Amino acid sequence: MASIDLDKMLAKVKASQWALADIDWDAPGAELITDEQRPKLKAFMADLMWIEHVGARGFAAMARKAPNDTLKEMYTYFHAEEQRHANAEMALMKRWGMLDGDQVPEPNKNLRLVIQWLDRYSDDMPLEVLGSVIPMLEIALDGALCTFLLDTVDDPVCHQAFARINDDESRHLGVGFTVLEMQGHGDTYIKVLKTIATLMDPRLILGIASYVPLLNRMRDNIIDMGLGEERLYAAMKKFERIGGRTADGRRNPWYQIISRHGRIVINRRHKLYHAPVDAMVRLTDRIPDRVMPSRMPTWVKGITYKPVV
Amino acid sequence: MSNREENIGGQKHPTPGKTAAVKKPASGKTVAKKAATKKAAARKVPVKKAVSKKAAGKKAARKAAARKAVPKPVSVLIVGAGFAGLGMAIRLKKAGIEDFVILERGERVGGTWRDNTYPGAACDIPSNLYSFSFAPNPNWSRSYSESAEILDYIEYLVAAFGLKQHIRFNHNVSGLDFDEKQGLWTARLAGGGTVRARSAVMAQGPLSNASLPDIEGVDAFRGKKIHSARWDHDYDFTGKRVAVIGTGASGIQIVPELVDRVASLKVFQRTPAWVIPRPDFQTPGWNKALFRAVPASQKALREALFWTHETMAMAVIWNSPLTRLAERLARRHLHRQVRDDWMRRQLTPDFRIGCKRVLVSNDYYPALQKDNARLITWPIAKLSENGIRTADGVEHELDCVVFATGFDVPKSGTPFPVRGRAGRELGEEWARGAQAYKSINVAGYPNLFFLFGPNSGPGHNSALVYMEAQLDYALRGVQRLMDDNLKLLDVKPAVQARHNKQLQKRLARTNWNSGCKSWYLTEDGFNATMFPGFATQYRAQMATFEDGDYERVAL
Ligand SMILES: Cc1cc2nc3c(=O)[nH]c(=O)nc-3n(C[C@H](O)[C@H](O)[C@H](O)COP(=O)(O)OP(=O)(O)OC[C@H]3O[C@@H](n4cnc5c(N)ncnc54)[C@H](O)[C@@H]3O)c2cc1C
Ligand SMILES: [Fe+2]
Ligand SMILES: [Fe+2]
Repeated sequence: MASIDLDKMLAKVKASQWALADIDWDAPGAELITDEQRPKLKAFMADLMWIEHVGARGFAAMARKAPNDTLKEMYTYFHAEEQRHANAEMALMKRWGMLDGDQVPEPNKNLRLVIQWLDRYSDDMPLEVLGSVIPMLEIALDGALCTFLLDTVDDPVCHQAFARINDDESRHLGVGFTVLEMQGHGDTYIKVLKTIATLMDPRLILGIASYVPLLNRMRDNIIDMGLGEERLYAAMKKFERIGGRTADGRRNPWYQIISRHGRIVINRRHKLYHAPVDAMVRLTDRIPDRVMPSRMPTWVKGITYKPVV
Repeated sequence: MSNREENIGGQKHPTPGKTAAVKKPASGKTVAKKAATKKAAARKVPVKKAVSKKAAGKKAARKAAARKAVPKPVSVLIVGAGFAGLGMAIRLKKAGIEDFVILERGERVGGTWRDNTYPGAACDIPSNLYSFSFAPNPNWSRSYSESAEILDYIEYLVAAFGLKQHIRFNHNVSGLDFDEKQGLWTARLAGGGTVRARSAVMAQGPLSNASLPDIEGVDAFRGKKIHSARWDHDYDFTGKRVAVIGTGASGIQIVPELVDRVASLKVFQRTPAWVIPRPDFQTPGWNKALFRAVPASQKALREALFWTHETMAMAVIWNSPLTRLAERLARRHLHRQVRDDWMRRQLTPDFRIGCKRVLVSNDYYPALQKDNARLITWPIAKLSENGIRTADGVEHELDCVVFATGFDVPKSGTPFPVRGRAGRELGEEWARGAQAYKSINVAGYPNLFFLFGPNSGPGHNSALVYMEAQLDYALRGVQRLMDDNLKLLDVKPAVQARHNKQLQKRLARTNWNSGCKSWYLTEDGFNATMFPGFATQYRAQMATFEDGDYERVAL
């Protein structure tokens, strides 16, 4: 896979827009969701929807940092497209009777922490950080979770929606890895120094502290749904494989950090990592609501399941 | 603003306003003409002899024959009856030149201010500066006048200076051709017919052509579509679901006016602009009385306004400490008026102030936050039959879409074909970016003057300040042609090239060329629009007319 022409890709993105209204949300098939599936699927969908939304906010931050107009516009579209995924997933939840009226489901506590972090600090993070974390989130959480879903759910409307979502995602990933390589190009030594400097930024440490437990939480959710965690791991390996396909990609220190971290996440025997992180997940669950950040940023209110407003 | 008052003397002009009696200004013709010839004699510039005596005789005969068939050429033809065309006419008249025509495609004068009548349309440079220095109006009702009041002022100019008889309405110029043998410009008209003149002035306006933007589905939308520059005053907005596309100068004026009339207002923004507060107030009665009684006081205010705006050049044109200060001012304005963090972020530009037009408004941000208003920053995917679809997958159902999407600005090319010497075509030459000498002449296109030509755009000061400098320059050119009996007055290519080399060098250091996309730049990032400097510098550039810069060919 060679790097892609970003201008052509942007034109393709613009030509590939779709809308919720393109899907018939009342078509038959909703009844294929079993009562046994419903509660777990509901939690899973809510997480998935929020992860899309979090990814959206990440792209918003990246649009600010983009090194050229093409990428800026691209990320602006990706920001909207992730929101579109969240909207479509919420529409599925609505279809399956999983919404409490018009209410957007509550994000879990790990997600809430990530949302807070994104809101406060993502605009200050260098593109290198977001440009490596986002593809990982996309490939692992977004991408892998979607395939899981399609394996368990028979509703044809769900398959329709995810066919479109996955089309979008393949473009996101293509751009994501191209940028990863672009940023690996050049003087490695300086890049490493910069990386270390950024790593020591307390704002990033906070970010890591919210990103790391999120991965483990999603792993647990998947197992909860009765699915093999291997799928998640396969996806994370894919990040390592595609991101490392060129010398430039491998030279990117952020790629190195993220993919090595991925390897550790996959390695269940790595107790040194998993014991404290799993503890963090349990801990976040026990954070009393009153000390959780109380105010949610208004960008989270933009989600809707309605095709027409 | 000194040197442009030479022809006015001390004469008083009637003042605009509905009740003001309209008086033709006493003419200062003879004086002006004498002065002009004296100047010409003193200059003693060598004039190329173009033709032998014999040839001249033949030519005269041919000319006489031609005269029978078509009407005699006028001295000057002007395209457009906006501020620029009318200002040119006034300067010509004051210099004693009466045989000129203005070709105007519309049915009324006023250009920008005839076309832009959308709710809230107003100038964003104080009226005392956004008016002609040679025709001050003590009666401006507020510091930033509305469109209708500016149009009144323009109509007053027509009446006060007796311009009506020169204007041919419904004359849409479709091309300009130069006849090198005779030294004549021919304007072709859209409905057929031609007008010939010894010199031509292009005053067709930099922002006079508006069309709906190239968004997918514009034709599919079945609701009402209105362009800001072609407002439909008969459309009743009450209870309607309305969208405004575009948050530039027009958009931010429309939004506060519309929001209270409609059921819901969605504002679609692609890029936020820098917005600074506007010190708008009504002119108190005593103020108008003072201006009437002591015109010097109004001149002093104009002078003060001029220098205030000049200072802004420091912030807007170049990256200076004042740029930071201006950005801080704008940020504070945003911070004070918008409560929500995310909305602030959506409204915060990510380019340097000045890179695009800086906007002024006090009521735009509050309007966006009203209960029935929403700011939408998702890219527009397309228009559907019933509304706008954004890239977040949602369709916004609408009764009416207002396009505040600006104008078709020809940064490369010309609004209509212009053919110069030896059949060369200006649009082709300008395909990669327009170029001129001092924004007003182009080598190979003799006797032709561009108002608001390439690199004449002000980023920080009144367009009319720049325009007056152009009018004086064009007048001098026209006077050279007439007084020195020239057939051709054509700027030398080398002079033009040198001028542009310097210009582009200076532009490279400005905020406009600092990396944001704007209508100032061509697709390739070439700046053919703005003048890189103070208005004072522009005026200085236009104040000298160097005959040595021109190839001069006698009639
Ligand atoms: C909404 C708006 C607000 C503005 N506010 C300000 C401000 O606050 N301060 C400022 O300095 N500038 C402002 N401007 C810029 C403004 O365009 C100029 O200040 C000035 O009005 C331009 O005058 P003009 O005569 O050159 O062009 P116009 O006013 O556009 O006049 C051109 C005339 O030429 C006619 N014409 C065009 N093509 C042809 C043709 N082919 N044949 C015959 N006739 C033709 C048109 O019909 C029109 O009447 C504003 C512009 C707009 C659109
Ligand atoms: Fe997604
Ligand atoms: Fe994605």
